[in-house]
Amino acid sequence: MNTALAQAALPTARAIRWTPAVCLAGVLVAATVLARSAGGPADVVLAIAAAGLAATVVSGLHDPAAAILSAVPVSVMQRRVLRLALLGLPAMAVWFLLDSLTAAQVSGPGPMLALTACGVAVALWAPPRRAVVMGASTPVALFALQRFLPSGTVSDVVGWWLTEPWWVLAAATLLCVAGRRR
Amino acid sequence: MSMTTVRPATAASAPAMVTRALVVTEARRMLRNPVPWACLALTTWAMWTVTPEPGEWPGASYEGIIPAVAPFLFGISVAASLPFHRARHDVAPAAPVSEARRTLARLLAALPFVVVALAYAVLVAWRERDLGGLWIGMEPGRTTEALHTTAELAQLVVLALVAVALGAALGRRMSRLVALVPALFVLWFVVSVYWLFGQAALTPYSMIQVQPLNITVGPASADPLSFPSDWLLVGNPHTSEGWQRQWVSEALAWWHDVWLLGVAALLLGVAWPRPGRRALLAVGTVLAVAGLVGQHVVIP
Repeated sequence: MNTALAQAALPTARAIRWTPAVCLAGVLVAATVLARSAGGPADVVLAIAAAGLAATVVSGLHDPAAAILSAVPVSVMQRRVLRLALLGLPAMAVWFLLDSLTAAQVSGPGPMLALTACGVAVALWAPPRRAVVMGASTPVALFALQRFLPSGTVSDVVGWWLTEPWWVLAAATLLCVAGRRR
Repeated sequence: MSMTTVRPATAASAPAMVTRALVVTEARRMLRNPVPWACLALTTWAMWTVTPEPGEWPGASYEGIIPAVAPFLFGISVAASLPFHRARHDVAPAAPVSEARRTLARLLAALPFVVVALAYAVLVAWRERDLGGLWIGMEPGRTTEALHTTAELAQLVVLALVAVALGAALGRRMSRLVALVPALFVLWFVVSVYWLFGQAALTPYSMIQVQPLNITVGPASADPLSFPSDWLLVGNPHTSEGWQRQWVSEALAWWHDVWLLGVAALLLGVAWPRPGRRALLAVGTVLAVAGLVGQHVVIP
């Protein structure tokens, strides 16, 4: 099975559209460099980067050939994990690059991983027709709600991806495991 | 022998009728999309919660009003991108209506969002007056009755045009619909971090321009009373560069609106089919350059 996955890695990497992700990473690096030169608090830039990179990784779950590949002896979850790994590793590299460019307090990949896991969990459990779009929108929605909701219990809960990212990551991963056959 | 006559007026109005029908259909679809309305609610809430508070950075409330529009712009772009992405399907070229006409119809269908942006700008103006004005500067150069100028409020409407054009361009050119969400999110929320473009050299290139600009006018040891009495000032303990003038300019905002119109035309050029694309790109380039030059001339 692992051999099949290894053999699928290169064609899958070729099937992924890298241009939008590369452009997005370029915008984030430019914004971080601007933040560094302006000397302002870069926490918000890093939070945007976390949500943007997480949404990009989740959007990589979109597989136009999913119907054809459903007949191959590799489970759909394994193919998802392969896609997540192919996009997630470069996203992580971009995150560490951005983190090294700033002196923000919100450092570490926890928020990005938590948002990615939340997005994947939504993509697994949402109706199949719009699953990936809803999954990719989840990090964006969580960021926007955390930023604009008035402070209170709801805002605190929505903001757990930022304040308690590892717990959110664990809970979302459990949801992903529970929905692995979906 | 019988003759069949066709009234010229009917023949001439047929394309207009087709366009109108397409506009109505597309507008109905776009307006049914819940994303821009949810984003508008967030934007309105964010704007409403901006109030002057004692101890704030001088001008914080004034600066906080305009960037609150970012979620709505994101929502407009998402809604506008969907019909343009639909136009990528193979069935579209075989349609009995030209691509340029269909593109025009989609753009016209998105105009209700620009009208909503205009209403939002009016709401902002009313809210500021309801608060009695916003605060800029510190003693001895301070006001508690600052209101955004017409040009700054007009920026909100022009930004809605840019949002439509950006959604159209990305929707038309990006092959995967799902990739639009992170792209539009990052673009709009990064440009909403206004202090990234706070330096005078970068301000003309910003998308969401936030005034006042802080221009250093003297060392910390300078006597603030020696500056012109109509200057709004900020100094120690808020700054480390000495005394700064908090400069608000309606002329700068108007030139920035011209720059944004140029950007919108350039983006529309990306979304527009080949006939007519060059004209849009040329107009966009002229407006963008004029806007940039105008801003550079105005900034002291």
